[in-house]
Amino acid sequence: MRASEWAALVKLSLARDKRFAVSSAFGITVGVASLVFFVGLGLGIGKLLREKVFPVDARLVEVVPPKLALGGLLGGGTIDETTVKRLSELPGVAQAFRKMNVRVPAVSRYDGDFFGRPLRMGLEVLAVGVDPALVKGDLLLGDFKDPGPSQPIPAVAASRLLEIYNKSFAPARGLPNLTPQLVTGLMIPVEFNRSFVTSSPGGTVTASQLQLVGVSQRGLLAGVTIPLETAKRINRASGVDAETFTAVTLLAASPGDVPGIVSAVKGLGLQVDDEEQQLAQNAAAVVVLITAAMALLSGLICLLAAVNIAHALAFAVRARARDIGIMRAVGASQADIRNWVLGEAAALGLVGGVVGTMLAIGAAVGIDIWVTRALPPFPFKPETFFDWPAWLWGAGVLLGTVAAFLGAWGPGRQAARIDPAAALAG
Amino acid sequence: MIEARGVSRSYSDGEGGALRVLDAVDLLVQAGEFVAVVGRSGSGKSTLLHVVGGLDAQYQGEVTVAGQRLTGMNDAALSRFRNQQVAFVFQSFHLMPTLTVADNVALPAFFSAAPVNRTQGTLAALQRVGLADKKDRKPSQLSGGERQRVAIARALFTAPKVLLCDEPTGNLDAATGDAVIDVFRSLNREGLTILAVTHEERLRDAATRVLTLSKGKLS
Ligand SMILES: Nc1ncnc2c1ncn2[C@@H]1O[C@H](COP(=O)(O)OP(=O)(O)OP(=O)(O)O)[C@@H](O)[C@H]1O
Ligand SMILES: [Mg+2]
Repeated sequence: MRASEWAALVKLSLARDKRFAVSSAFGITVGVASLVFFVGLGLGIGKLLREKVFPVDARLVEVVPPKLALGGLLGGGTIDETTVKRLSELPGVAQAFRKMNVRVPAVSRYDGDFFGRPLRMGLEVLAVGVDPALVKGDLLLGDFKDPGPSQPIPAVAASRLLEIYNKSFAPARGLPNLTPQLVTGLMIPVEFNRSFVTSSPGGTVTASQLQLVGVSQRGLLAGVTIPLETAKRINRASGVDAETFTAVTLLAASPGDVPGIVSAVKGLGLQVDDEEQQLAQNAAAVVVLITAAMALLSGLICLLAAVNIAHALAFAVRARARDIGIMRAVGASQADIRNWVLGEAAALGLVGGVVGTMLAIGAAVGIDIWVTRALPPFPFKPETFFDWPAWLWGAGVLLGTVAAFLGAWGPGRQAARIDPAAALAG
Repeated sequence: MIEARGVSRSYSDGEGGALRVLDAVDLLVQAGEFVAVVGRSGSGKSTLLHVVGGLDAQYQGEVTVAGQRLTGMNDAALSRFRNQQVAFVFQSFHLMPTLTVADNVALPAFFSAAPVNRTQGTLAALQRVGLADKKDRKPSQLSGGERQRVAIARALFTAPKVLLCDEPTGNLDAATGDAVIDVFRSLNREGLTILAVTHEERLRDAATRVLTLSKGKLS
C-alpha cells in the first residue's frame, strides 16, 4: 500500500466514524493536556526559583573563614592577600572577588522627600566592600571605586531587596514602586561608628552619603555593597581590622569546575558558604519532586487512554469485520489492514496530542492572566508561572501519538488476522 | 485461465474431526469461458471460489490463475493478485455502507501498487453498468439490483482477467436478476472469463458450461 493511499484511507475511515474518533481522541487529549500543563508549571516554577528567588549563579563559590578557629592551627583561619592569591590560582578558578565587611556599625537616618512622598526612617546599615569587577555588569551610573573621604560613596543594592521593597514594603506604606533606573542616583545619608541597637562604640562618628549606582543580584541582601577600597578606608580610619577579608567569591570557568574548587578550598582550611545554594537546591528538589509526581499521574492518564483506545479499537475491529473482509477481497494485505488500524490510532493520537498541548497552554495563559489581575502584588510575583520549551510541545504531541499507537497494536494485529472468507460469508 | 488440480479443503467440524468440503477437485477454465458451478447449499461452492480467488490459502493441491501459481504465494503477493487479476461479486453485494457509490467502486485503488486515475476509472466502470448518474449516492439509497451493479462496477474497476461470482442474483427478484445476468453476458462476450457459482436456473442458462459440485467432487 502506498503511503498516500494509506493516509487517504485513514482520513476517509475516520471521517465516516466521527463519534468513535472523538471519543478515542478525548482520553489522549486529557492525558497530554495534564502532562504538558504540569511539566510546564514545574519548569516555570523552577525557573522562577532559579532566576528570581534564588538567583544563584552556578559558577560562583563563596569562600569564608572557618567558623571554628581550628583553621588557626592548620595555618589558615583568616583570608588575607596571600590566601586570596592562592585561591585565585586554584585550577578552574577564572576570577576571585574579595569582600570585606565594614567592621563598624552604621546607621542611616532619612528624613525628607522620597519620590514625592515624605519619608522618615532610621535603620542600621550593613555594608560590604567588594572588588568592583563583581558588580561591574550591573552599574548604571559612574565608577565603582573609592571616592575618598567626604565624597558620596557609590553603592549597589540587591535585586531581591528591591523586589521585596516593591511588593511588600512600598504597597503597605503607600510608597511608589521603584525600578533600578529610578533608584539610581538616590542619595542616602549614612553615619559610620554609630548604632541604634548597641551603645555606640568609641571613636568619631563620620557622616557620609551613599549614592546608589546600580542594582545587582550579586549585591548584599540585607545591606549595601560598596567598593572594597572604601570599606578598607573606613575600617582603617576606625582602627579595626582592615587587612583580612570577610569572604572571597570565586568565579569558576564553568559550573563543572565547582566541585573541584570546593574540595580544594576545604583543603586550604577554609569553608564554603553554600547556604543559598542549599536553599535553592532544596526548593528546586521539591519542585522537581512535585512535577515528577504530577507527570507520573498524567502518564497514567495517558496509559489509561491507551487502554481505552485499545478497547475502542478492538470493538471497532469486530464491528468492521465485514468491511475488513471486503477490503481484503479487493486487494488489502494483512499488513495493509494492520497499518490502517495503526494509522487511525496514530492520527487520533496526533490530534489528541496537539489539542491537549494547546489546551494546556491555553489553561496556563488563563491562569497567568487571572493571577496578574486578581492577586495583589507579592514578592517575586512573576508574569508567568509556566515555561514552555520547544521540546515540551514536541513531547506532548509525541506522547499522544505513541500512546494511541501502543493501544492500537493489539487491535491492529487482531484486524490483520481476520479471515476474509469467513467475514464475507457471515 | 483457471487451473486447479487436486484441490482439497477441510474445515474442523468443531468436535475434533475434519469436514472435507472439497475433495481433490480439478477445475480447468479457458480464457473467455463463462462457467457456472451448481450444487446444493453447503456443497462447497463458495469455498471453491475463495480458493481460486486467492482469498483462502488453506488448501491442498495446485492452483494457477491468470498465469500465476497461487500455491505457496505469501500474503502480500496473494493480495496483489486479488487486486490485479481477479474480482469478486457476492450475493449480498458487500458494499461499504458509509461510502458513496463512487468511493465503493474505487475501493481497490487504495491497495493498488501503481497510481490509479480514480475519477476516470470510476466513471468508466459505472457507465458500463448504467449507474453513472448515481455515483454520489450511498448504497442504502439504491435498490438491490442497483447495488449489485455497483458491486460489478467495483469488480470492473481494476480490469481483472477473471470475474468470480458467488450467487450474484441470489438476493434479487427475477427481473433485476435478469438485468444483472445481461451485464455478465455482455462482459463475457467482450472476452472476460467468468466463474459463477449458483443454484439459479437463469444464470446457469447464461453460462457456456455448467459443472456440478457434489460431495466434494466437481463433475
Ligand atoms: N469457516 C468455516 N469453518 C467451518 N466450516 C465452514 C466454514 N466455512 C464453510 N464451512 C462449511 O463448509 C461447507 C461448505 O461451505 P460453503 O460456504 O462453501 O458452501 P456453499 O456451497 O457456498 O453453500 P451456500 O450455497 O449455502 O452458499 C458448509 O458445510 C459449511 O458449513
Ligand atoms: Mg456460498
